[in-house]
Formats: sequence, C-alpha cells, structure tokens
Amino acid sequence: MLYFTLASKAYARNLQYRGAHMVHNIASAMFGFMYACIWLGLGADYALGDYGTQGMVGYIAFTQAALWVSSFVTNGLGIPQAVRTGHISLDLMRPVHLFSHLMAKEWGQIAYQFVYKSIPIYLVYYFAFSLQLPGKAVTFLYVAIALAGAAYLSICINYLIGASALWTTESSWLYWGNHAMINLLAGFFIPIEWLPGWLQTIAWWSPYPYLLYVPTRIYLGFDDVSYLWGTLLWCVLLTLTCLLATGFLRRKVEVQGG
Amino acid sequence: MIEVHNIRKEFKTPVVKEGRFSGLRTLFTREYRTKEAVKGISFQVQPGEFVGYIGPNGAGKSTTIKMLTGILHPTSGHVTIRGMNPHKERRSVVNNLGVVFGQRSQLWWDLPVKDSYDILAKMYSVDVGDKERRLGQFAELLDLQAFWETPVRKLSLGQRMRADLAAAILHDPDVLFLDEPTIGLDVNAKRNIRHFLKLINEQFGKTILLTTHDMDDIEQLCNRVMVINNGELSYDGTVNSLRDTIGLPTVITVTFRGPFAIPEQFQRQGNPAVPIRVTSSLDNTVTIEVNRREMKTLDIFKELGRWGELDDIDMEDPDFEDVIHKVY
Amino acid sequence: MTTRSWLSLYALLIRTSIKSRMQYKFNFILASFLAALIQISEFLMVAIVLFKFGAIQGWSMHEIGYLFAVMTLSKTLYRTFADEVHHLEHYLVNGELDQLLTRPMPVLLALMPQKFRIMLGEVLQGGFLLWWSLHGMMAAGQVGWSAVPQSLYIIVTGAVILFSIGLATATFGFWTTRITELQNLTEDAARTAAQYPLTLYPKWMSSILLIVVPVGLVNYIPSLYILRGELGVWVLPALAGVALLCLCLSLKFWHFGLTKYQSTGS
Repeated sequence: MLYFTLASKAYARNLQYRGAHMVHNIASAMFGFMYACIWLGLGADYALGDYGTQGMVGYIAFTQAALWVSSFVTNGLGIPQAVRTGHISLDLMRPVHLFSHLMAKEWGQIAYQFVYKSIPIYLVYYFAFSLQLPGKAVTFLYVAIALAGAAYLSICINYLIGASALWTTESSWLYWGNHAMINLLAGFFIPIEWLPGWLQTIAWWSPYPYLLYVPTRIYLGFDDVSYLWGTLLWCVLLTLTCLLATGFLRRKVEVQGG
Repeated sequence: MIEVHNIRKEFKTPVVKEGRFSGLRTLFTREYRTKEAVKGISFQVQPGEFVGYIGPNGAGKSTTIKMLTGILHPTSGHVTIRGMNPHKERRSVVNNLGVVFGQRSQLWWDLPVKDSYDILAKMYSVDVGDKERRLGQFAELLDLQAFWETPVRKLSLGQRMRADLAAAILHDPDVLFLDEPTIGLDVNAKRNIRHFLKLINEQFGKTILLTTHDMDDIEQLCNRVMVINNGELSYDGTVNSLRDTIGLPTVITVTFRGPFAIPEQFQRQGNPAVPIRVTSSLDNTVTIEVNRREMKTLDIFKELGRWGELDDIDMEDPDFEDVIHKVY
Repeated sequence: MTTRSWLSLYALLIRTSIKSRMQYKFNFILASFLAALIQISEFLMVAIVLFKFGAIQGWSMHEIGYLFAVMTLSKTLYRTFADEVHHLEHYLVNGELDQLLTRPMPVLLALMPQKFRIMLGEVLQGGFLLWWSLHGMMAAGQVGWSAVPQSLYIIVTGAVILFSIGLATATFGFWTTRITELQNLTEDAARTAAQYPLTLYPKWMSSILLIVVPVGLVNYIPSLYILRGELGVWVLPALAGVALLCLCLSLKFWHFGLTKYQSTGS
C-alpha cells in the first residue's frame, strides 16, 4: 500500500508541470517526425530491409513513444540531488529499502509519462503517418510485458547511476552517457541488425536492446517473443546489482555522513 | 543616501487547475493570482545610519532589499541610491554597493577564499595596492588568515560569513545591504560579525541596512529600526521608542516566607485602575506583571511587602523578542 | 568597465574555472570520457546511416558529413564561451542570478564566464569530420581551397546564430522558470534536424528551421553556396547580417526579460 501511495504521489506531482510537459511533447514529437522524414527520404532511394519505408516510419513512431517509458526516467532516480542536499542519510534511515522506495516513486512517474507522453505522441504519429495497429490482441500483451520489463531495467540502470553520485559529482554525465548508449545500442534510430558487426555484438552483450528494440519488434509483429527471456534475465541481473550497490552506498554514507 | 518612494511589487503566479486530464485546459486558459508582496513603502536613509529592517517571514523584507539593489524591478514607485536609479544605472550603483545574502555565498565554491578576492577585485576594478591593504585590514579584524587557502565549500558557516563580508566591502562601497548575515550562526560567530559591523559603521562611516530575525542584532547594532509587516511599514523609529510604544510589562516572581494575602483589588482580572496584575499564585509563589513606566520599582516592592513577608524576588524585563512579537 | 579590463577578468575567470574543475581529477576525467562517448555515439548515428546507404536525397556522404561537422563546430564554439546561458534555469531556480545582478557589469557578461567548458572531444571530432569531408570533396574536384576559409567563417556566424537562439530560449525562463523542455525543442531538436539536408522535411518544417528557429542558416544555406555553387556569393555577407540581426533581437529580448525577473523565495 505504501508503494502505491508513493507511486500515485509521484504521478500527481507531475500534474503541476503540465505546461512544460506539453512543450516537451511537441519537442519529442518533432524529434520522431524528423527521424521519420530521414527514413522516408532514404526509403525513396533504397529498400529498407524487413521493414520497408512504412515499416521504418512505424518503427520510429513506436521507439519515440516508448522512449518515455524505457528511457526518460528521473536522472539517477533523484539520488544525485539527495546526495547534494544531504537528504540521502534521511532516505536511508527510513524503514523501507531505498531501492524499492525510489522504484515505487519512479513507477508513478513512468505511469504519468505513459499517459501524458507516450500515448499522445503515438496518436499524433498514428494520424500523421496513417500507421496500423497490431492485428492480434496477444501482441499487445507481449508488448506490455516487454515495456514493463524495459521500464524496470531503466529504473535499475538509473538507480546505479544515482548511486554513483556518492563517488563523483559528475553523475549527470553518466545519465547523458546512458542516453547516448540508448540512442545507439537500443535501436532507437537505427535497427540493431543494421549496425556494424562489432557494434551489434556489443549491443547484444548489453541490456540496451531490451529497452526499445525488443518491444518495438514485438509490436511490429515480428516473431521475437522469445527475446522476453533476455529481458527477464537482465531484470534479475540488474536487481542483484542494485541490491549490492545499496550495500556499498549505505556503508559510504555511514562512514562519510553523506 | 537611500531614498525609497512609494515602491510596490506584485508577483503573478499562474493558477494550476486540478483534476484529471486538465493539462490541456491549463495550456489554453491561464489564470493568474496576483500577490502584492510590497505595498507602497517609502523611507529615507541618511549617510552613516545603521538601519535594522525586520519583519516576519514573507513580509516583504527580501523583496524590498532586492528592489533596492536593482535585482527586482518595482511594479511602481522609485528608488534612488546616492541619487541614482539602481535599475536604469545598475552598474554604477552596484559599484558603490556591498551586498551579503546570508543564505548563499557570493564566493566561488571550489576556489580558495583568496582567489575569490582576486576575481572580485578585478571585477570592481580595485587596484592591487588597495586590495592588499584592505584585505590586510579585514584579515586582522575578521581573522581570515586561518582559512585563507581553504576552498569555500570546506568553510564552516561562521567562516564563510566572515569571508563573504570581506568580499562585500572589498571595493569599499558606501552602502551595505546585509540580508540575514547572522542566520544559523553560533553565539561566538554572531559576536564576531556584530563587532565587525559596528566597527565599519562607526569608524568607516558605512551606511548599513540589515535584515535579520535575531533581535540581539537589532538591539546591539541599529540606531534605527523599520518593521515591515504584510508588505507595509508598520514602524520606523529608534529601538528604544519601539520598546516604549509597545509597553510590555515586566514579569516579577515573588516568593513569600510564611502566609500572605493578595489584596482583593489585585485579584480581579483586568482592573485598569491598578498597575499590578496577578497572573498566577501557587503555594507561596506569586507571579505578577507590572508596567514599569507606570510604577517605580521601589513602589512595587513596597506594595508587595504589604502582602506578606518577602523571601525572594525575581524580575524579568520584557524580552525584545516579545516586543517584536507584539509588533508583528 | 572597459573592454580590456573585462577581457582580463574573463581570462582570470576562465583560469579559475579550469582550476576548480581540476580539483576533482577523477570527475574531470570521467566527464571528459563520457562527453567523448556521447559525441562518438552521436557521430556514429549519422555515420552508420551514411555507411549503409551512401547518399541521402542527392546529398553525398561528404556533404552530409560537412553539414554535421559545421553544426558540431558552431555548437562547440557557442557552448565553450556561453555554456551557462544554456544552464540559466539553474541560476533561476537557485536564485543565484541575484548575485550576478549585484555585479558591476552586464548580467550576460557576468554569467558567461561562470563556467568555462573545455570541449576538446567536440573540437577534435568536428575538426576531423570537417577535414574528411572537405578533403573528399576537394579530391573529387567539387570544391577548391577557398572552401576552407569560407567554412571557418560560417562556423563563426553559425555560432552567433546558435548563441542567439540559446539566449532567446533561455530568456523565456524569466517567465516560466523551467526552460529545459523548450531548449529541447529549439536547441536540441532543431540542431539535430539541421544535421541533415532540409529538403528531407516537409515545406512547413524546413520553413520553421530557416525562419523561426534559424538553424538552417548555420550549415544548410551556406553549404548550398560553398559546396554546390547555388545561390551566390552574396550569401556570405548576408549571413553575417542575419547573424547580427539575430543577436540584436535576442539581446533586446533578454534585456526585456531581465526586467521581468522574479527572484525566488526569501
């Protein structure tokens, strides 16, 4: 129940900034529109693999909307700020585990972004590019699982980035670095199979493809449901890492007082 | 030196609508709530004055200071400092202004204290000779040497405030604005800062306007106090006359040896004819309130002596804090 | 304050800014490494597409590389000197702008040197890409040596235009306090769009990118003349004129915005 309260508070908190978020939506929609235009331009001269021009536009539309679920989470889950203000010691004193506490808040944030960002943005593309929805209902179920997994992975990654704030003042660079990796390795703009071989190898050894590429492929109706096992594996691995990191973090705060 | 004529400041904040999916509505129709933070304040400060500017949180103190320093533009009215408008001629005005915001430092966070002074000296075109001479002076008065080479982020609050004060007067301004310079400091640090402020006011003739929540600052430093409440000046005069205006009573606790009797006229509450008011009576201890402007101390003791055999008397003059509380 | 004393102050502030960055060596190395990583991945996004497909709508690999390089270098120039303009939100939220307003110099000039950013990675990458694309086009006889000074010239005018856009965007912060979202639109999205030839986009969008948020004037329009001999030599002086106009307009807007500044809290 506590976790639900945390999540719904985080959701409600965002309602204050709707004006700014609207501008953000326009920016985000423009980004996707621009990338779609590039693929449309390329599609005029070249065949675009499995996807075809319309398929690539659908690909971009979905990744751009999914970005708000699986990439744009709070920088370091707010830990860097808590470290700067000294709040972190307070947070560690609470009777809930820091990881689950912050995660609950972040789920509220993600829910908000899904409702107010992903859906409107996708709707714009749906009409602008006359996209098609998946034919089978079960696809939606798999996509939902894939996106939920992606959101969870993203929360874990940002928790680790946040934890690094105790050791470096430049953790925001890690956040941006993570974004750059998502752009490149998660198949955000270019589907992973078109990356050079060495980069594909790196990508598949990382959790990044499960953030955008896998949900998008499933959504577009490719038979990639078995990839969900990869999502699960990374969820387990990153959860363990986060728990380990909390241990280090606690010790660091106890020794140095934040 | 400082002339303020009927300045007002309004802040507009958009009203956020509540309810589900109201984002779109907020986007298209914007309502503003106007808050009048300062409602027509006028005053003048003469050269060499040390003025305390007090008021509860949110009364408009900082807003006033920010309008005087050119940070905020008043909605209406005008300000002149040494005959110049701090908004139109901001740069010439601030050249002769020292400002300390107690809540945040103007020093460079990561740099040793002395490096900040190098930068400030350059910024205000203070030549090297003057800089060294003044810093030498301040270093002695404020005991800066101890942390000369320390990065600002590692200073204690008291040290930081001392360093900030030196920074504010490095360019030898005539006017100083100090916004809560003693906030959060311990007794010792406060004493240091007050000593220094008194000195630069009395010996160097600096005009100082100080906001604070610490009434000891006001009592010990200021020859004039202005009280702002709800955006309006509610008092402007000397500290002593402020105390008199309010006329708070002195609290006296009397212990009697053996039996005593409180005359009936004093037992009735709120009898304006008698200057002594009994507030409590427990065992053989009685607490009374007397306004000492209405009754001399000796007369009070005589009167009490009639009630019974005195064992011990404890007198407490009105606290300045309470005086202020009453003004607010 | 004279220009000379301001310059000497600026130099001092830059030195101290570097000095304070160097106090945290690990952080400095980490930040530099990550900045390079981000830069490389941004470059790879374009390079992979070019590598896989070659030309986009009649623009060759070298030409698109050139667009990207000019944009990167202009942005680098702008951000090296005026990174804090981009980060104005921080000053608005923390009320640190109050401090700057009590300085005896124009607020903008007090703001700019607050932090000096060393962007070596961007310079190297942009420089390499510029060299690669110009070299390729020279070998093919598409452009001559005169393209080199012309490119340097448009990098400077481009930086002025980007600075003007950044300043105008930041100024909105005096009303809205939050500007990150708007910057995302006018700076990031617009700049990314102009890394590709504007012909890719529908008319309304390319018009926006040329008139409202004129990022197209940074690299696309000058490239039409420098690389393809379209338009005419008048483009170059006209660019300087437009850049100055943008600068004047955004400075005017900035000064107007400053009078609306609502300092935060106590």
